[in-house]
Amino acid sequence: MMGKKYKDHNKLSRKKRPIGRLLLILMIIFFYMPIVFVILFSFNDSKSLTAFTGFSTIWYEKLFRSSRMMDSVYTTILVAVIATAVSTIVGTITALGLSKSKKVIRDLVTYVNDFPIMNPEIVTAIGLMLLFLTLGIERGLGTMILAHIAFCIPYVMLSVMPKIRSLDPNMADAAMDLGCTPWQALIKVIVPQIAPGIFSGALIAFTMSFDDFIISYFVTGRGIKNLSISVYTMSKRVNPIINAISTLIIATITLILILVNVVPIIIEKTRKKNENDN
Amino acid sequence: MKKINQLATPYIIWAGIMILLPMLLILFYAITDSGNGIVSFRLTLKPFGKFFTDPDFLLILWRSLGIALKTTIICIIIGYPVAYYIAGSDDRVQNLLILIITIPTWINMLVRTYAWIGLLSDGGLFSTILGFAGLKDVKLLYTEGAVILGMVYNFIPFMILQINASLSKMDHSLIQAAADLGANRTQCFLKVTLPLSLPGVVNGIALVFLPAVSSFFIPKMLGGGQYYLIGNVIENQFITVGEWNFGSAISIIMAVIMMAFMYVVRAIERRNSTVEEDDRRRRGAAL
Amino acid sequence: MRMTIKKFTVCILAAAIALCCLGGCGGRKDGPYAGRTLYIYNTGEYTGEWVLDDFEYQTGCKVIQDEFESNEQMYIKVANGDMYDLLIPSDYMIERLRQEGLIQPLDKSRITCWDLLTDECLGLGYDPQNEYSVPYFWGTVGIAYDKDKVSEEDLEREGWNIFLDPKYKGDMYLYDSERDMFMVALKALGYSMNTKDEGELREAYDWLIRVVENQEPEIVTDEIIDAMAQGRKALGIVYSGDANYIQVENEGMGFYLPEEGTNLWCDAMVIPANAENVDLAYEYINFISQYDEALDNSLTVGYTSPNRDVVEDLTGQGGEYSGIKSYIPRADNPNDEVFEFDADTRRIMADLWAKVKIAASNAN
Repeated sequence: MMGKKYKDHNKLSRKKRPIGRLLLILMIIFFYMPIVFVILFSFNDSKSLTAFTGFSTIWYEKLFRSSRMMDSVYTTILVAVIATAVSTIVGTITALGLSKSKKVIRDLVTYVNDFPIMNPEIVTAIGLMLLFLTLGIERGLGTMILAHIAFCIPYVMLSVMPKIRSLDPNMADAAMDLGCTPWQALIKVIVPQIAPGIFSGALIAFTMSFDDFIISYFVTGRGIKNLSISVYTMSKRVNPIINAISTLIIATITLILILVNVVPIIIEKTRKKNENDN
Repeated sequence: MKKINQLATPYIIWAGIMILLPMLLILFYAITDSGNGIVSFRLTLKPFGKFFTDPDFLLILWRSLGIALKTTIICIIIGYPVAYYIAGSDDRVQNLLILIITIPTWINMLVRTYAWIGLLSDGGLFSTILGFAGLKDVKLLYTEGAVILGMVYNFIPFMILQINASLSKMDHSLIQAAADLGANRTQCFLKVTLPLSLPGVVNGIALVFLPAVSSFFIPKMLGGGQYYLIGNVIENQFITVGEWNFGSAISIIMAVIMMAFMYVVRAIERRNSTVEEDDRRRRGAAL
Repeated sequence: MRMTIKKFTVCILAAAIALCCLGGCGGRKDGPYAGRTLYIYNTGEYTGEWVLDDFEYQTGCKVIQDEFESNEQMYIKVANGDMYDLLIPSDYMIERLRQEGLIQPLDKSRITCWDLLTDECLGLGYDPQNEYSVPYFWGTVGIAYDKDKVSEEDLEREGWNIFLDPKYKGDMYLYDSERDMFMVALKALGYSMNTKDEGELREAYDWLIRVVENQEPEIVTDEIIDAMAQGRKALGIVYSGDANYIQVENEGMGFYLPEEGTNLWCDAMVIPANAENVDLAYEYINFISQYDEALDNSLTVGYTSPNRDVVEDLTGQGGEYSGIKSYIPRADNPNDEVFEFDADTRRIMADLWAKVKIAASNAN
C-alpha cells in the first residue's frame, strides 16, 4: 500500500519538476557532446579538429594499416582480461580464507588493501615503478599485468567480503554433512551465493584495468603501450587517428553495455511470455 | 574446513610485496639522498625541506587542493539535483538514465579528455558560439577553467551515481510520514531527504576529490605545458628531472594529506551510514 | 544474475580468442630476422608513415618503437637499465650516454650508408669521428612568426629579445625544453650557450623569469606545431624542422634565425651498451638512411634529412620544401653552436627551468 502511495506522490512531484528535467537534459548533452564530436571528426576528410570539411574514412584506413595503433588496443584488452581473471579468482579465494582467519589478520589485510584504494594513483604508480626497478624486473607487458592485478584485487575483495559476511556459516557444514567434499561445498554452495559480489568485483576490476593510465604509464617499458598511453603520447599534435580509434572503442563498449543490460530483459520477457502461453 | 583460512596466506605475502614494499620504497627514497641507487645512501630530510621552504611548491600544492575543491563543489551542486531527479523517476526510467550516465565513464578517460581539446580550441565549437554572442577571442583551452571543466566532466558521474544510490536506497515511507505530519516539501527535503542522502554525498566527495588532486594528464592536456598541479610536479620529477628523492618526498606529502582526508571522510560516513556496504562500490553501482 | 555471469565469461573468452587470432597474424614469417623484435626508443611523431612497416616486411622482424618527450626522459629510462636496441637522442645526450658508457662504439664496417649523408651533419663536436652515432635528422632552433603581426625589422633589431617586447605580450609560445630555452636566454644575453659560468646561468634564468612573468607566454611542446600552422600566436620558438611544416601549411608564417646565434643540433642513432639485437639495429640504421625511407621520414616529419639526395630533391624545383629556407640549416654564422654536455650545468639548468615553469604557472 505504501508503495502505491509513494508512487502517486512521485508522479505528482515529477510533473512539477521541469527544472530537474532541464538539468538532466543539459547533463546528458554535456556528457555526450564530446563523444559525438569525437565520432563526427573521425570521419572528417582533413586534419582539422575544428572545421568539418567533408566525409571520409581515411583515418580508419590509416588506423587499420598501422599495426602499432592496433597493438595498443590488443595490449589494453589482454591486460584487462588477464588482470580481471586473476584478480577475481585470487580476490575471491583470499576473501574466503580471510573469513575464517583471526580478526587481527583480517583487519590487517583490510588496512593494507586500503593503500591502493585511498592513495592517489600516482603514488601507487611510483611505488610499483620503484619496486620493479629495485627488484631488477624489466618493465614491460609483464610488469603492467602484475601492477594491474595488484590494484584490482583490493577492489574485488571489497565487493566479495560483504557477501561472505552475510553467508549463513552453517551452510557449508550442512552441505558436508550431506556428503559433499569441502571442495564441492565451496563450488556448489558457497560460490553461487556470493556470485553477485564476485561478478560486480570482476566488473570493477575490468573497468579499472581497461581505463588505467597513470599506473600503466609508470610501470611499462620497452614501448609496450595500452590505449591510454598511446592517446597520451599522440595528443600533442592534431591526429584524427585518435578520433577513429576512440570511435571504435565507444562503439564496442556501448554495444557490450547495451547487450549486458538489454539481453537479460528480453530473456526475462520471452520467458514470461512462454510461461503465459503455457 | 579449518584449513580454509590458509587460503589467504598467498595473498598476504603478495600484498606485502606488491603493496607494502612499494610504499616503504617511496618512504626510503624520500628520506635518503642516494641518487637513484640503493647501495650507497645517506639519511636526510633535505627533500622535504626543499618542498616546504620553497613558496612556489607550496603555492602549487595549495592551488591543486583549491582546484580539487572547486571541482568537488561544482560536482555536488550540479550532481545532486540530477541524482535527485533520477531517483524520483520510476524504476525502468531510472535504470535507463543510470545506464546513460554510466556509459561515458566506461570510455577511456584519456579519450574523453582529448575530445575537449577540439571543442575548446580557438575556432572550435565553443569559441564559435561565443563569437556569435559577441565575445570574440576568448581563450578557452589552456586555462584554469578548462582544467576544472575537464575534471568535472570526468568525475561527476561518480558523484551522481553515489548520491543516486543513497537516495534510491532511502526508506521512502519516512518522507511520506513527514508529509503526513504536515511538513511541506522544502521541510521534507531539508529534514529527511538531505540527511539521509549525506552518506552518498560523502562517498561522492571522496571519489571526486581524490583523483582531482593527483590528476596530471587533465591539467597537461587542457591546461597546457605551463599549467602545473602537484601531480605534474611529481611526474616531472620522476620522468624528466630525475630527482627521485624529491619526487618521493612530494608523493609522501600528498599521500599523507589524502590519507588524512579519506580518514575524515570515512569517519563522517561511518557516523551517518547505517548500511555498511555503502562504500563498497565504485563504478559497479550502476549495473 | 547467474545468467549474466555466464555471459560475462563468454564475452571475456571471446575477446581473448579474438585477441589471439588477431595477434597471430601480421609480420612475414619467412624474413631473415623472423621471430625477432627490434626495440627502438625515439622521439614521438618522429618516424615516416610506413618506414616501420616496410622494415618489418623486409626483415620479417617485429618493430616496437617506444616514444619519449624529451632526451632527459629517455636518459632516465636507459640509465635505469631499460633495454632497447636503438636510441635516437640529440647531440649533447649522445655525449652524455657516451661518457657514462651507456652506448657502444659502432662497428663502422657494418654501416654502409656513410656516403649517402651530408657532410655538414657528420663529425660534429659530440662525436667527432662518428664512432658512436649515425645522423637521423638535423637542424637549428629559431623563431616562427606571423608575417602580418611581426615585422622583420623588429626581428632583426631585437633578435631573441623580441620575446621581451611588450608589443607581443600574450602572443607567444615558448618551447618546454630546458636546454633550448636556456640557449635562447644565453644567446639573447650574448653568452655562449655552452657556458659553465653560474653567474651567466643565473642571468639567463632571470631573463626567462622576466619573460614568463611579464609576457604571458604559453609553454608548450609539440602542440606548437599545429598552433603556429594555424597562426594562433605571433611568435614561437620552434625547431627548424617544425618550421618547415608550419610554412608549408601556412604561407603567412615565417622563420627567423637571430644573428646572435642559435643551436645547431643533430639527432642521431646510437646502439645502447645493453642492446640485445645489435644485428637488427645495424640493419635498421642502414635501412633508414636509404633514399626512399629517408624521403618518407622527411616528408612525414618535416625535418631536414641527413641524406644528401633527399635534401636536394625536396628543396629543388617542385620539391615539397622548395623555397623554404629553414629546410637547409644555416652553416655560416660563427655564433651558432652545437650543444656540449656538462653534468653540473645540466643539473642547474634542469632545476632552474623547473622553477621557471612553476613561476609561469603561478603567474597566471
